[in-house]
Amino acid sequence: MRKLFLILAIVFTVLGVLFTFLPLDTIALAPLFLALIFGVFAYTKSDSVQRKTLNIVLIIAFVATIAVVSKHFLTTDEVSVDSNFEKTKVESQKEAQKTLEEDLE
Amino acid sequence: MKKLNFVKVVLFLSLSNLAVGQIKSGEKFVYVGSYNMSGLMTQLAQISLSTNTISTSKNSYLHLSCELATYSKWDKFFKMRDLYESYVDPITLMPSLYKRSIDEGGWTKKEKYVIKGTSVASTAQKRNKPETKNKFSIGTSTQDVVSLLYKVRTVDFSKMSAGQTKAFVIVFDEKQIPVQVKFMGTETVNAGNLGSKSCYKISIDAKTNVLKGKDKNLIWLTADQNKVPALMKFSIPVGTGQLTLTSASGI
Repeated sequence: MRKLFLILAIVFTVLGVLFTFLPLDTIALAPLFLALIFGVFAYTKSDSVQRKTLNIVLIIAFVATIAVVSKHFLTTDEVSVDSNFEKTKVESQKEAQKTLEEDLE
Repeated sequence: MKKLNFVKVVLFLSLSNLAVGQIKSGEKFVYVGSYNMSGLMTQLAQISLSTNTISTSKNSYLHLSCELATYSKWDKFFKMRDLYESYVDPITLMPSLYKRSIDEGGWTKKEKYVIKGTSVASTAQKRNKPETKNKFSIGTSTQDVVSLLYKVRTVDFSKMSAGQTKAFVIVFDEKQIPVQVKFMGTETVNAGNLGSKSCYKISIDAKTNVLKGKDKNLIWLTADQNKVPALMKFSIPVGTGQLTLTSASGI
């Protein structure tokens, strides 16, 4: 059981760290929370000698969680300038004007 | 004397329109659209609601526009650029033309309803598919989804008591959908650059699969003459989200 919890903690930590570096925002918290939960379960079932790897896994998961939460609150979101969308809006309004003139009057 | 009476009538009509909360041209409201991910509200997109006047040789229309654009960090994964437009009568807010152009992760759809009284001529085109045309009828007071939001803003909630409802009908995807608007009381919420505002809490209930739950689709309108939508919360089959007002101008 200890080994299963340890493997799950490692897998979810790797996934969480990967998500932390990708712009997936708080989605990364899901695997990181699971990593921490399985890590704590494994920790309770380990003796002091067996806890070396587990400590590293828990520290990585904890640091990644702090990084995700900090990134979420400290970065500002921006909408990129999209010339295609601007063009769509202008063309849509021109087409609407034509429809209002021709079809409705 | 005739001139004075004319001025009085114009003044009276203007004040009457203000009393029912007429929608102004030149309004612009910007929102942050967030979606619940892993238990935290994650900011996904910017939503803008704006109004401007469009004049033709015979008429003048109020152009109601609703734009959605995902933040640049999401664009590589799931880029969304949606445009919903309605051209309405400036006084009655009844739509003459409704347009929808959506691009959600490469899936596109364009839709147009030309509304003449109770008859609608619609054209729709999905990505890589030919354009389809249809004709159908709607009720005399049927709104489109964009103009409904503005119509709700003209309701005088100050005269309503909590739990009181008002019925509307919208046309969406060529179907008429009954919508019930329920006044739930007043609450103070943050309204972006307008500061903390006392708001009318409104529940929207539509007989459609798009919205989920009872009293889970909510709009907070500032309890003043402008009735600015300060906060909107929605519940859809795949989760929950909210639109938070960041800036309001032209009011």
